[in-house]
Amino acid sequence: MSVTPASSEEHVIEAGHRGISLGVSALWAQRELGWIFIRRQISLRYRQMALGIFWAVLEPLAFLLLMSAVFGMLLRVDTGNYPYPIFAFSGLMPWLLFNKATMAAAQSLVDNMALISKVYFSRLLLPVAGVVRETFDSAVVFVILVILAWMFGYTPGWKLLLAPILLIYVAINALAVGLWLACVMVPFRDVRPLLTLVLQAGMYATPVLYPSTLVPEQLLPYYQLNPMYWSVELFRWLLLDKSIELSGSFWISLILVVTMLFSGLVVFDSGEKKVVDVQ
Amino acid sequence: MSSDVVIRVDGIGKRYVAPHKFGRDNLRSRLIGHLKEFIPFFRQSEEDYFWALKDVSFEVKRGDIVGILGRNGSGKSTLLKILSGVTLPTTGRAWLKGRVGSLLEVGTGFHPEMTGRENVFFAGAFLGLSQREVRAKFDEIVDFSGIEDFIDLPVKRYSSGMYVRLAYSVASMLRSDILILDEVMAVGDSAFREKSQKNITRAASDGRTILFVSHNIPAVKQLCQSGFLLNRGSITRTGNIAEVASQYLREVQKIQDNIDVVCSYRDLVDAPRFDELRKVILKSVELLSEQLEPVNAIKSGDSLRIRIKIANTSVQEPYFTVFFLNDVGERVMTLYSTHNFYKVPTGEVIAECKIPSVQLVPGLYRLMIDFGSFALGQFHSVDCVPNAIAFNIDHPGNLGPPRLVANQGYLLQPASWETVSAS
Repeated sequence: MSVTPASSEEHVIEAGHRGISLGVSALWAQRELGWIFIRRQISLRYRQMALGIFWAVLEPLAFLLLMSAVFGMLLRVDTGNYPYPIFAFSGLMPWLLFNKATMAAAQSLVDNMALISKVYFSRLLLPVAGVVRETFDSAVVFVILVILAWMFGYTPGWKLLLAPILLIYVAINALAVGLWLACVMVPFRDVRPLLTLVLQAGMYATPVLYPSTLVPEQLLPYYQLNPMYWSVELFRWLLLDKSIELSGSFWISLILVVTMLFSGLVVFDSGEKKVVDVQ
Repeated sequence: MSSDVVIRVDGIGKRYVAPHKFGRDNLRSRLIGHLKEFIPFFRQSEEDYFWALKDVSFEVKRGDIVGILGRNGSGKSTLLKILSGVTLPTTGRAWLKGRVGSLLEVGTGFHPEMTGRENVFFAGAFLGLSQREVRAKFDEIVDFSGIEDFIDLPVKRYSSGMYVRLAYSVASMLRSDILILDEVMAVGDSAFREKSQKNITRAASDGRTILFVSHNIPAVKQLCQSGFLLNRGSITRTGNIAEVASQYLREVQKIQDNIDVVCSYRDLVDAPRFDELRKVILKSVELLSEQLEPVNAIKSGDSLRIRIKIANTSVQEPYFTVFFLNDVGERVMTLYSTHNFYKVPTGEVIAECKIPSVQLVPGLYRLMIDFGSFALGQFHSVDCVPNAIAFNIDHPGNLGPPRLVANQGYLLQPASWETVSAS
């Protein structure tokens, strides 16, 4: 019988607080597990659904149809020279990604409690996997969006190459918010309905279904502090060639996102340790 | 020697927030109680908490298999959770040397929608195996589980037995230096259990250290050399597994009297009953030999008389049952007075049960005596003493080797050997 040499690893489990950590290196160490986890999440989502992966596309399209009917045909929102459906879709796609990914990240610990309380792994994996799963769906939707825009006469240009960066930026936005909420959500399930409401309001505070020209001039600098404002406008810029001017608010919102992300990582890392005990 | 220590636990304690007890209190205290559960600021007194583990310290050497015993809620699982890193201790520290693999629940990471194959890879990843390792051992895993034909079916279509067998098989491939196993022996049928027991022994003989929790005392005794007993979060006994196990069984069977009941005569009037409210009918018990001498030890194969004194005035259709329990608390033999259609007369009498030949393996036996009424095919217990008396059965001197072998079953059956045909 072969005697495997004992590894020289040492583990110390100690009470009390440790230093501040982002938890990113632990996540990197378990990237193989992360990769499997993400693949499973994606394949699980559409199993047992007759239309499978098409739901990733059908859902936003149905929403778009609804919104086009209400805002485009009934309320006749003025979108300049852009046809309403394509205008709304190019805003809806990043917004839906943000909305779903935030939800997924915030819910990730609650949803995987059974796993968390039975086996140790880098818990940062869970919100990250949730966000990646939603980003994957959005990438599929994005392809449809490009095709739709083409049909409306917007020929895809070189700018589309920047789309992945933008998608990732939106995903990071969502992760930053989700990380802050994930640990809080475990003992306080109240957060979920609250978050749904806030996200609902957020959609109307972002130029998704209407153009930002409808916003009063003097409010615009504040309105533009919303990082999602910039994501939506940038998407329109690269798809519809809508002009964009990066104002000071853009840089402030960028700093806001980065701060949120790093503080979110720290908050998550310290909260994650206690989550099992307060479920 | 101390360099051999691979697990060192020092004063580990774990505190949880006590769930608020809603009594007949007013709205204000209800509100405070509710807030206490959620917001640490409101928890100020010690009674808002309870300690699941308190000041637990021990050391484990490389290659040891250590059994952790304790009743439900004694803190076993909390301890394993802390050692596997799932939760942090409130006090103390633990040091582990080597790769740690833990299995706190069979089937962690299994998803009902996925096929057996997918689940094997996924669960393996969560247990800390690399995909390359799982791929290399895939056939072995499937073979161990014995469900080759269903491996590509979603596990939701599995029977629960197939499910746990596959789940356990993945876990059995864990080859970490330290294995932490929580109640994994209770899986599958007896053949499968035997297979997994062998697997654990093999893992230990490779120099792996195993910490394991189980309620299956015979299995624990067979696998472990040492262990410790947890009671309400503290270690109450540590050392040789046989001693720890017997202490545990006393706790489980609520045997509070720590007096040594190995004797030939015992007054049962004050002995603990199963139910406090029952009448005291059983008065005393006495063990006698064939020659009517009081005994507390006989040889296997000897005759034994059990004399039970009772004072019964009201119970109709009376019966006795005498249960023989071995040192791990298993029932090895049951004697029913109804088998002989014996009916004890009312009043204060002494009944005798005579066993012509007690053919049990050597060891310590405890008697549980039950008295009640047998009517319409139903036993209604009226008075029952769980730990009435204990006695030893020794090895009969006239047998050849071997003498004391563990795990030889329950009976020492006399048999003769002879050659019936020679060529």
